[in-house]
Amino acid sequence: MITLWTFITSNLPDWKMCAQALISMMIAIGIYFFNKYLRLIVAKKNAPIQKKENGDEHPAKSNLSVDYDENLNAIKQVISSNSDVHFREFQITDIQARATLIFVDGMQNEELISEHVMKILMSDTEKDITGINPLALSAYLLENVLPVCEAYEAADLRDLNQSVLKGCTALLIEGMPSALLIHASNMKSRAINEPSSEALLRGPRIGFTEVLSENTSMLRRQGFSDDLEINRYEVGARIKRKLVIAYMKEIVNQDLLQEVRDRIEKINIDFVAESGYVEQLIEDDYLSPFQQTQNTERPDRVINSLLEGRIAILLDGTPFALIVPVTFGMLLQSPEDYYDRWLPGTFLRMLRFFAAFLALMAPALYISFISFHPGLIPTELAITIIETRQGVPFPSLIEVLILEISIEILREAGIRLPKPIGPAMGIVGGLIIGEAAVQAGIVSPFLVIVVAVTAISSFSIPVYSAGITLRILRFGGMLCAAVLGMFGTILFFLFICGHLSKLKSFGVPYVTPLSPVRFSDWKDLFVRAPLPLMKKRPKMMKTQDKNRLS
Amino acid sequence: MFTRTDDKISTRQTAIFITDSVLGAGILTLPRSVIETAQTPDVWLSVIVGGFIVLMVALVMVKLSQQFPNHTVYQYAKRIVGTIPGGMLSVCLIIYFIVIAGFEVRVFAEVTMYYLLEGTPIWAIVIPFIWVGAYICLGGINSIARVFQIIFPISILILVLSYFLSIRLFDIDNLRPVLSEGLLPVFKGLKSSVLVFTGCEVIMILVAHMQHPERAVKATFAGIGIPFVLYLMTIVVVIGGMSIDSVMNSTWPTIDLLRSFEIAGLIFERFEFPFLVIWMMQLFCNFTSFYYNASLGISQVFGVRLLPVIFGLIPAIFITALLPERINEVFKLGDTIGRMGIAIFFLVPVLLSVIFLFRKKVLKQHV
Repeated sequence: MITLWTFITSNLPDWKMCAQALISMMIAIGIYFFNKYLRLIVAKKNAPIQKKENGDEHPAKSNLSVDYDENLNAIKQVISSNSDVHFREFQITDIQARATLIFVDGMQNEELISEHVMKILMSDTEKDITGINPLALSAYLLENVLPVCEAYEAADLRDLNQSVLKGCTALLIEGMPSALLIHASNMKSRAINEPSSEALLRGPRIGFTEVLSENTSMLRRQGFSDDLEINRYEVGARIKRKLVIAYMKEIVNQDLLQEVRDRIEKINIDFVAESGYVEQLIEDDYLSPFQQTQNTERPDRVINSLLEGRIAILLDGTPFALIVPVTFGMLLQSPEDYYDRWLPGTFLRMLRFFAAFLALMAPALYISFISFHPGLIPTELAITIIETRQGVPFPSLIEVLILEISIEILREAGIRLPKPIGPAMGIVGGLIIGEAAVQAGIVSPFLVIVVAVTAISSFSIPVYSAGITLRILRFGGMLCAAVLGMFGTILFFLFICGHLSKLKSFGVPYVTPLSPVRFSDWKDLFVRAPLPLMKKRPKMMKTQDKNRLS
Repeated sequence: MFTRTDDKISTRQTAIFITDSVLGAGILTLPRSVIETAQTPDVWLSVIVGGFIVLMVALVMVKLSQQFPNHTVYQYAKRIVGTIPGGMLSVCLIIYFIVIAGFEVRVFAEVTMYYLLEGTPIWAIVIPFIWVGAYICLGGINSIARVFQIIFPISILILVLSYFLSIRLFDIDNLRPVLSEGLLPVFKGLKSSVLVFTGCEVIMILVAHMQHPERAVKATFAGIGIPFVLYLMTIVVVIGGMSIDSVMNSTWPTIDLLRSFEIAGLIFERFEFPFLVIWMMQLFCNFTSFYYNASLGISQVFGVRLLPVIFGLIPAIFITALLPERINEVFKLGDTIGRMGIAIFFLVPVLLSVIFLFRKKVLKQHV
């Protein structure tokens, strides 16, 4: 103790050191509060606004009256300013009453309406129904006349208008104090295609479409189970959209389910255009570069995740379903791993982990080796690289940035290009620019190899958005390497590790089963163990039913 | 609850936490320091004996900590010996942790400047290092344990691989003769070999954070056993590969050993580079552990929030790290830490245990 004291007194810090120490603390505190401030503003903006509980939002119900013209006028007043709302008036022969069909153009099922509604009502069936009380007419029509599957009665004017705008066809009949709603919307949807963002060699070729009911039916059609539950929500304040969450009710962890429900109910936005909106509104940490939900177009992927105890969120109008919670390992998995035999599956997994490492670190390692520690690579290789770099006028960071940024631009351009030109442009861009840059002496040929390997590696990641994450982080790694060499690269890696271990997706640590270690889950991480060995569901999901095999 | 909100770590995490706190600068400094004091090739015996001694003391620490569930040493020291003496003991422990953290940073910076970044100002290495450490500490013990868990397998794998590859230089004659100068040098070497195990004091804090404190003994065995084996490997491999004379003349013998052979046909001809990388990560873990434990101590002893303490320690560690002007002073500081460590090592747990037992058994007090 005493020696320590004399040691300290003999080495009192000078003012410069103290200043450095203070500045380092100030900067750290500054960064912390800036980060906290950023989080706070979003947390405030995202807080659900207390809905007004007064009657303004729900005007008093106004029922249809017995007077046909009055009803018609009331409806017209509200919705006839829309040019796509059509009113088709005709005479019902049997009861000699006027009637009107109200529908939105393009949403009605033409064939069903004309064949099964108008034809029947307008033809003379010589049935004597004049004696029927107009009040009971609707019931009579539903029961005895109209051969339509989905039809029901509506008496509220507001409901009626909304239903028409949603795609129902309304039938208004003289003397009847209610209208009949015929649910015969016939939305055009595109054909079911192979998902273009997640193509597989082996596996079902079916992908989600834009129609929610088709997507949910695709999930149901994966195989029968009374376990699969699909709950419906409506999201969007101004334009409402259907959203469903799907889960296996005997597998899913109830706390997780409740958490997902709470977060979905908190969504407060005018219009949810795509599931990406949902993703951004329910995620845990919006400052993290890593995605906290997984998006997929593949029903098989969704159903497999459900069986692991995860929850799927499907939105109407987009083929992308969200799977929560997500872990880092999932981003490097492809459904194919399970369809192929376990050995190729394992090989591909390991390859992808390696590719992810390359995609993140390769340029940073290049910079730190070339600029800082050429002595650490084998002498002959170092000489070769340095020889090829002799004419290059830039420091290695600028050199790498030139090529990396042009590759990123090329990739972005490749998406916009028309399909027939795309590959040609890829060749022009990739090969010719690379070749010419080397010949012009701007970059070294070795760097072209590094950048090309990096680019290919980032494409080999099965989840596109995860690839983007790694691409962004790569630039951070390059900067760190340019400033502090290998030390900077290591710090960058440690920082990413620290961030990943703090990150959670719906309460599940992001890098589990790596950390916290759950060895039983490692069967489905770097390796894909033979199926009979994977008897248990992932431990990290804390599922109710732990065994896959009964 | 699905989300874990309590600050608890599993048994496995505890073991890794202890390993990462113990296994640090010693990998590089152990061979030279222990040979300088003992001057014989028998120092591996010192490491074995030292390991056992440390294990015994660690078990005392665990047993003591288990008497106070959910209490760290900072909290139960007050209960055993009273607020002020307990607080003083805790402050000693805290200063010890801060100094050792600063020492780790300095050793890190020295090695980095020597091998990787010549001519870089030392603050440019030290400050980012402390910042990243602070970032991880802010996540609490759980996220620290998780980071350790990610780094641990990588570093152990490369460490063992490096040693394995250096077997080609291994010459058993360098370790002979055994006990030529009797047992005395072995005991002399104990001073340095016990020193490399400094850091296992964190057990007294970790037990409070364990999910199953009853398994703390198991975790301690693993947490001290792993570094024990690795240190033993280090000393045997380094002496066997270099002979004691060249070890004494080298600043960082372990790296010199790995630099002295080349493997043709691999990407890295020399294994010094991957070794340095994992050693840096290991040292970072080591540093983070002490940093966190010091912050936790200040926060618990003085009743302040953890967050400002973590920030407040940044300049403290920075100045501690930069105080020694030359590398020899760094090593001198290392020795001072060693003496201080041994004092704290025996003083705190043994003293506390004796007083605790005395009060409980003799005075029949309820502590």
